[in-house]
Amino acid sequence: MDLADAAVKASESRGNASSSRRGALGIAALGGLVALPAVGRLFRLADALAAPSKSQDVRILQLVLQVEYTQVAFYEEALQNASLKGELRTFARTALAHERAHLAAVTSALGASAGARPRFDFGASVRSPQAFTRTAISLEDLAIAGYNGQATNLTPGTLATAATIVSVEARHAAWVRTIAGEDPAPEAVDQPITAAQAAAGLRKIGLRH
Amino acid sequence: MHEATSREIDELLHAVDRDGAILETRTLAEAPVSRARLLGLALAGTGTALLAHVGPANAAPPLAASDIAILNYALVLEYLQSSFYTEAERSGALTGKTAEAARVVGAVERAHVTAFLKLLGSNAVKRPLFDFQGTTEQQKPFLKTAVAFEDLAVAAYKGQAPKLKSKPVLAAAVGIHSVEARHAAWMRELFGITPAVNAFDQPASREKIERVVASTHFIVARPRTTRKRKPKYTG
Repeated sequence: MDLADAAVKASESRGNASSSRRGALGIAALGGLVALPAVGRLFRLADALAAPSKSQDVRILQLVLQVEYTQVAFYEEALQNASLKGELRTFARTALAHERAHLAAVTSALGASAGARPRFDFGASVRSPQAFTRTAISLEDLAIAGYNGQATNLTPGTLATAATIVSVEARHAAWVRTIAGEDPAPEAVDQPITAAQAAAGLRKIGLRH
Repeated sequence: MHEATSREIDELLHAVDRDGAILETRTLAEAPVSRARLLGLALAGTGTALLAHVGPANAAPPLAASDIAILNYALVLEYLQSSFYTEAERSGALTGKTAEAARVVGAVERAHVTAFLKLLGSNAVKRPLFDFQGTTEQQKPFLKTAVAFEDLAVAAYKGQAPKLKSKPVLAAAVGIHSVEARHAAWMRELFGITPAVNAFDQPASREKIERVVASTHFIVARPRTTRKRKPKYTG
């Protein structure tokens, strides 16, 4: 299943009837060529990549998968252990539902080459509302920068679907920033990061293997 | 100037799926944009890292006519937003966090306009004349319209990004796209509605966006290209 199909399926299963199929990729057939993801591999995902291709899309989706796994695990653990209340809890619950849908879409798109859920150690960041808020801002900002950093490396079809995800991450980032009393949109243009920077950022937040 | 009715603004919010007259803002130009102009993005202070990120500057080819058309379309949306926020700020009608948001977002939208003008040079369409129908003069209509504009901008950039041929322009466009999404969430929060509704934000075609914009009657005069055409026959 390609990412566009998977995104539609994931959103339809959550009653998002406005979704429609866009930009078929057919990357599922290529998925088997790619080894299981590992953070070490992500570090080696070159920043000066080749021209966009379906096989390169798959490699980039491995990175995206790690981002979405991290977000899902982070919100799950925080909802259990961080004593989130009020709007912060609403935010975490909403973001978790969205990240689960993203994860389902990316997992389906990768098919057999989607790796199992990694282990995480979020430490103190899932144990108090204040620490949760700080880390949520870092994680959402990282997701935006990570997606944006890969935009020019993706084929147009995969880019189209990735774009339906990244703006939702941006909405999350702005939302949690407003709750924290921080500027929701501090830059005129969101700056991208490389795959290696994204992987390093995920590790810092708590991704383990 | 009449105050926009709630119904009119509701239509704006939901009109992405409606039919209507198509706004004529298509002013294509074929002249290539030089690397110097492309780097105008950097000069505008919004894209330095982006341009550095996507590759060596000397690899930047002239912009394709299709990219110029997309950039002009984006420019009209940025004109719309920047004029809207600037007018709202000047009206003095906004208070508290909303006034602060309008000031910050307005400055960013103006930076986007500046960046696109530098990028497009003489290929840029002119700023149209706007009549915001009173929405800049009261806090609630302002916020409702701001939400609509920002959600529209997100859908518009999302619809065009995969069509862009120039990598530096694509890199800048996606960086702007996510900023518009941040703005959308911010305005939604201030308006008291959920900042992030769906797991996936859907794109909208240029035709849809232009129908929505036309339906607002906010644009009262159509933009033209600033490029001076050479007389076909001289002497």
